[in-house]
Amino acid sequence: MGTRKEAGNLTPAELGALQGAFTRAYAIRDERGYGFFAGVHGLPLPSYCAHNTPLFLPWHRAYLYFFERALADLDPDANLAWWDWTTPRSHREGLPAAFRRTAARVNRNPLATGPVRLSAAELSRFRADPANRGALSDGPEPWTLRDPGDPDELPRAATIARALAAPTFADLSTLLEGIHSSVHVWVGGAMSLISVAAYDPAFYSHHAMIDRVWYLWQNSGRGLPPPTALLDRALPPFPMTVRETLDIARLGYGYALDVAG
Amino acid sequence: MVDFADTTADPGTFTRTARITFAGGGEPEFTRADLVFTGVDHGKSSYEVRVFLNDPAADGAYAGRFHVFGHGGCFGDLGHCDVPEPSADPTDLRPRHQLTPLTTYLTVTGPLRRLLAGGTALETVTMLAIALPPRREDHAPTLDLFLFRTVDLRTYFTPATPG
Repeated sequence: MGTRKEAGNLTPAELGALQGAFTRAYAIRDERGYGFFAGVHGLPLPSYCAHNTPLFLPWHRAYLYFFERALADLDPDANLAWWDWTTPRSHREGLPAAFRRTAARVNRNPLATGPVRLSAAELSRFRADPANRGALSDGPEPWTLRDPGDPDELPRAATIARALAAPTFADLSTLLEGIHSSVHVWVGGAMSLISVAAYDPAFYSHHAMIDRVWYLWQNSGRGLPPPTALLDRALPPFPMTVRETLDIARLGYGYALDVAG
Repeated sequence: MVDFADTTADPGTFTRTARITFAGGGEPEFTRADLVFTGVDHGKSSYEVRVFLNDPAADGAYAGRFHVFGHGGCFGDLGHCDVPEPSADPTDLRPRHQLTPLTTYLTVTGPLRRLLAGGTALETVTMLAIALPPRREDHAPTLDLFLFRTVDLRTYFTPATPG
């Protein structure tokens, strides 16, 4: 793996590699494919994601690590990109162009929506709750939908600056998870529900941004490791402990120094 | 600390109010103030909570908001989403239930300082929850989603670091 860049700064070749890897992952129905990784987070059961616990940051770092490795198996030039929702561009345009539909009716961008491979019984149970309407398209093999809000409602740089001033790992985790939740509901559609959020390709760029802020905090003067009691906790289903997530260089990836426009 | 059962719901405005009083005036003055919510439910739709100090209609009453990322319902069989009591068994190494209610906080240092500086004590905290299901057209105020165990105001003092 290599360097993650801001989604708005990808070269055409970098974006093409990412789109190609996602497209190929969509077609794989075993544990190398998109459906497997998206399903680890929510549906189908069991759901493994760590929310509202101090494992939130390490678990999602492990999650992106294994998913990015799977993408790189399909295209070695494919790296996840982070979506910096604090930039003036995001506050004007919302989602990066790399993740938007190419046209309202006929979309040709594989990063604008993802396939949702759930059984008929799981889909039926999900759709039985009218509160879940608008997350997925109709039919037996649905795709994710979105319903984004006003771009200027996205988190601001000052909010991230406050998170980066967090005095402890626990504070950082709580603050970042709150910011993270606000972006999930801003995107709307599938992203607004834990159960199906990870089927939206934008999920991974959103979480790369969260992971990057943790990385920036780790390398700031305030950065502290998680409490000792957490370090040897496992992050199921991944064969990795919290301690093993702490150094991203050892995981083989990094974050570009570039900033979004 | 105020229990959920001791809060007051207003179905007309979809608001819930907790009587939390704080007059300030302590020495040294607090450097941070948080409203801490425990036992917050996150099993259904996502939602936003807007928080107001004293009369929500008054200028400057808005103190901030936070979001709760919801699971979207229960997808298991009967009992799957029943959250068990925390285990006291030291050999029980299983992770906690995913729907274990969460604890979160909203920092209200600035709004509380401004209120007190105007010569008014804090008397109540009012919360307005907005349901945020996938479709924006379905977003609406609600009293059904924001269920919690307690809400409390906590103030802190951190001395300034010299230099």
